[in-house]
Amino acid sequence: MKLRIDAELCEGHGRCWDLLPELVDADDHGHGFLIDIHASVPPELEQKAREAVRACPERAVTIE
Amino acid sequence: MYAGGDKSALAYERSACPMDYFAKLRAANTTKTEEFPGLVVLSNRSDVEGALRDWETFTSAFGGINGQDEPLIPLNVDPPEHVKYRRLLDPYFAPKKMASLQPAVDKHTNDLIDQFIDKGACDFSEDVAVPLPCSTFLSLFGLPLSEFDQFIKWKDYLLRAEAFTSSSEEADVLRRQTAVEVCTLMATEAYARRAAPKDDLITYLVESEIDGRKLTDSEIVRTCLLFFTAGLDTVTVSLECIFAYLIAHPEARKMLAEEPGSEINLVEELLRSETPVQMVSREATHDLVLPNGESVKAGDKVMIAIASANLDPNGLEGADTIDVRRGDMRNFAFGGGPHRCLGSNLARMELRTVVRRWHDRIPEYSLAPGEKVIWNSSVLRGVDHLPLVWA
Repeated sequence: MKLRIDAELCEGHGRCWDLLPELVDADDHGHGFLIDIHASVPPELEQKAREAVRACPERAVTIE
Repeated sequence: MYAGGDKSALAYERSACPMDYFAKLRAANTTKTEEFPGLVVLSNRSDVEGALRDWETFTSAFGGINGQDEPLIPLNVDPPEHVKYRRLLDPYFAPKKMASLQPAVDKHTNDLIDQFIDKGACDFSEDVAVPLPCSTFLSLFGLPLSEFDQFIKWKDYLLRAEAFTSSSEEADVLRRQTAVEVCTLMATEAYARRAAPKDDLITYLVESEIDGRKLTDSEIVRTCLLFFTAGLDTVTVSLECIFAYLIAHPEARKMLAEEPGSEINLVEELLRSETPVQMVSREATHDLVLPNGESVKAGDKVMIAIASANLDPNGLEGADTIDVRRGDMRNFAFGGGPHRCLGSNLARMELRTVVRRWHDRIPEYSLAPGEKVIWNSSVLRGVDHLPLVWA
């Protein structure tokens, strides 16, 4: 499982980095970005990753 | 037309029982309501989500709010100009910056609680919900606490001018006079910061540039005037909504008292399900036909009922129930699209801090005997008084 954040859709609600600080950080604008864009989501964080997808108001966070 | 009783009865129901009110409004499948005659009210999840993003159809670029004819910044400016202001302002309200303000908010909260804890009673609205965001605002702007009473008065005059006057004309005059006073103070402060910079938001605005030029005085005061109205009552009513919920839910109070950190999910869930800011305004830029077949004309005023979308189970299962332990559910408590609330990180920090600190110090409390929770019927959904007692 890999997490994706679409920077075009992101408006900086900040749910992803609030819920998943292990994988997502916030830039100076409060927009979420992946700490390691190549990394897979570790199994123990998969549930939290799904929550981050469900929480994003702009539907900018997806998993593949 | 969505009708039921008279206008004020509808307004009270929207404020007191939003879940019922908005469920009925969505079931009526109309944008026309008796409560908001002449306005287009969008209430279902997909219409709300679409309208928040589609700034080209549903514009925010209009002036004439808060006693100011000119557009407030960045609210009443659409892209591409909007982006330039947000690039400037977002970093000042980014999470790390807000984390650095947290100790001040924590201290303000403790100072407020110190004043009444031994009495075993307070009016939560007057003693916490109103003063806390005002002290935060003064810290952010580098203004002395001696401005406190003046600020509260100005905020009430701007947002509730009708309550202090006997006609809509008088209310308009009061709003305009107050806007002039607020803008004069901000312009004076900006002038002072140019000579003697401080570590505060006004200095940041004075020193900032867009397109290689400094902000004008007009831009600075129109930004400050927006923050003044956007940052005070919104946090006040959010705190009131949260504590009105808590006095009716002993298991939620117990959770907060016993489990530090549980306030994070609770605040998120109550921002969604109570949605203190129930609606945001837009204006249609062209004629269109909505999915339900109703027409909207260019220039129509549109109310986007984010409170309704947040409770709409169509598209998000479980949205019509409340569970303070569950994690985030997609919601628009802070709006969405390019105009997503600039101060959301500040608001979350303030709400979490107050809820945490209160329950550390006053874990159990109740509504004072014989008192009722009376909602204010405003789209900024709050209660003017919330008398609490504890042992």
